[in-house]
Amino acid sequence: MNKPHSASMYESEKKIYPREIGGRFDNLSKLATIILLGLFYAVPWFNWDERQAVLFDLPARKFHLIGLTLWPQDFPYLAVLLIILALSLFFFTALAGRLWCGFACPQTVWTEIFIWMEQWTEGTRSQRMKLDKAPWSWNKLRRKGSKQFLWITFSMWTGFTFVGYFTPIRELGAEFLALNVGGWTLFWGLFYGFATYGNAGYMREQVCKYMCPYARFQSAMFDKDTLIISYDEQRGEPRGGRKRSVDHKAAGLGDCIDCQLCVQVCPTGIDIREGLQYECIACAACIDACDSIMDKMDYPRGLVRYTTENALHNKGTRVLRPRMFIYGTILLILIAGLTTSMATRTPIILDVIRDRNALYRELPGDIIENAYTLKVINQNNRARTFAISVAGVEGISLDGISDTVTVDAGSVLSVPVRARAHRDNAYGIMTIQFTVKATDDEDAAVIENSRFLGPTP
Amino acid sequence: MVSEEYRGAKQWSRDKQAVFTVVWISFLSAAIGTMVFFALFDPVDLSGVFDEDLDIGRDAGYAAGFFFFWVLCALASGVTAYLVRTAPKRDAKHRDQ
Repeated sequence: MNKPHSASMYESEKKIYPREIGGRFDNLSKLATIILLGLFYAVPWFNWDERQAVLFDLPARKFHLIGLTLWPQDFPYLAVLLIILALSLFFFTALAGRLWCGFACPQTVWTEIFIWMEQWTEGTRSQRMKLDKAPWSWNKLRRKGSKQFLWITFSMWTGFTFVGYFTPIRELGAEFLALNVGGWTLFWGLFYGFATYGNAGYMREQVCKYMCPYARFQSAMFDKDTLIISYDEQRGEPRGGRKRSVDHKAAGLGDCIDCQLCVQVCPTGIDIREGLQYECIACAACIDACDSIMDKMDYPRGLVRYTTENALHNKGTRVLRPRMFIYGTILLILIAGLTTSMATRTPIILDVIRDRNALYRELPGDIIENAYTLKVINQNNRARTFAISVAGVEGISLDGISDTVTVDAGSVLSVPVRARAHRDNAYGIMTIQFTVKATDDEDAAVIENSRFLGPTP
Repeated sequence: MVSEEYRGAKQWSRDKQAVFTVVWISFLSAAIGTMVFFALFDPVDLSGVFDEDLDIGRDAGYAAGFFFFWVLCALASGVTAYLVRTAPKRDAKHRDQ
């Protein structure tokens, strides 16, 4: 097998399950799969300050991201983050083509893992094809059964992990072991697990071909300097079988021996030699396949390789081009803006709700009183003490509260307060300012306006 | 093609493509819609709007909201796909000329 001597030898090679050829890019994609999925399954188990480090606590309407707690009010951050992610995708697509598709997309990495499980249980490609054609037997049942067992178990674990991003995973684990998971948690776990099973087990690259919007848009970000996987037509053509000993250049042949291996390994079933096609997810399996043949033939590697359209036509490739500067600049501005804004945000939110039941109350001694409810949200990760004060009307003061209130980490405290002012100063509709200031940090303060009503003068 | 066979996946029919694409794209749109909507509104505050006695939890509120968006988006893209695919042939011929 190591020394194929004639074209007919390659025919038999077709039956070899292509993934087993392996190679540089296959190793890279295995590495990416292990790192990315490893992170997905491990992250919810990490703790920070005695709580889950990454927890999207939907029932409590707050997101914990390591040391940071995000509230619904912080939604703009999330929106900007999503825009940054989309722009990064554009940037890397323009630079290096569909790196995302080939190595990082969840669809790709989960499919990769499901294929491993298929290989462990059902064997190589030819064994699997034979198995599928064979009538049902104990062997077939055993192999198919164990594949399904692995797939389903793995899918359930995936669903469990997914839910673990929204529900504390350690408690969830205990409930799961006690078979005590119910309600929406169970539903979403099964939902995500089933989606993984269907997408990675059965639909696979059909999702990329038929269902993925990015696959159809990405060509808009391509130009002649974008890194793509391409067949070197000038070098390869005219293709054709030949004996290894033949001097193919003298015989008028290019370097392509037409072994079809690049077609066989392609998960979307295209022939890379026909040029760039939107089905190509840039997994680079064809590069590995072709390199292995080039090695056997003693030809230089790279008949199929990462290159650019300009390079293929013997023109220089420009990495620094206007497109990269535009994407790059917008990206940098957004990242800088987001970081600054998050670093300088005051982790206190104050909502002032005026009591609607009464306009104002008149107290003995010509005092006018208005009632409010202050909602103080402490976004910090530790309990904090705040001083509450009011200003805007001469002689206005607060009654009914102590000077300071303590709010637990990441909690909301409702403080009913009564503001009082002398009748001589309080008339009509006046604007007052409530100030909540952290006692441990002079700069951490928020001011919120409200109205103070008094009798018509 | 050989590689299709080993992956256990066959070429999808036009109908299958349409159905799965509609389901998937409306799923993604619904996910975005749900995120934005519930960042602005708390399901607990909303449940009183429809019925004073209705007291659904946040979990159920989020789920209901998500499926509402999914069905709505699927309806929109489904009808669009249907109309595009069943448009009179003659129009297409004119356009090509």
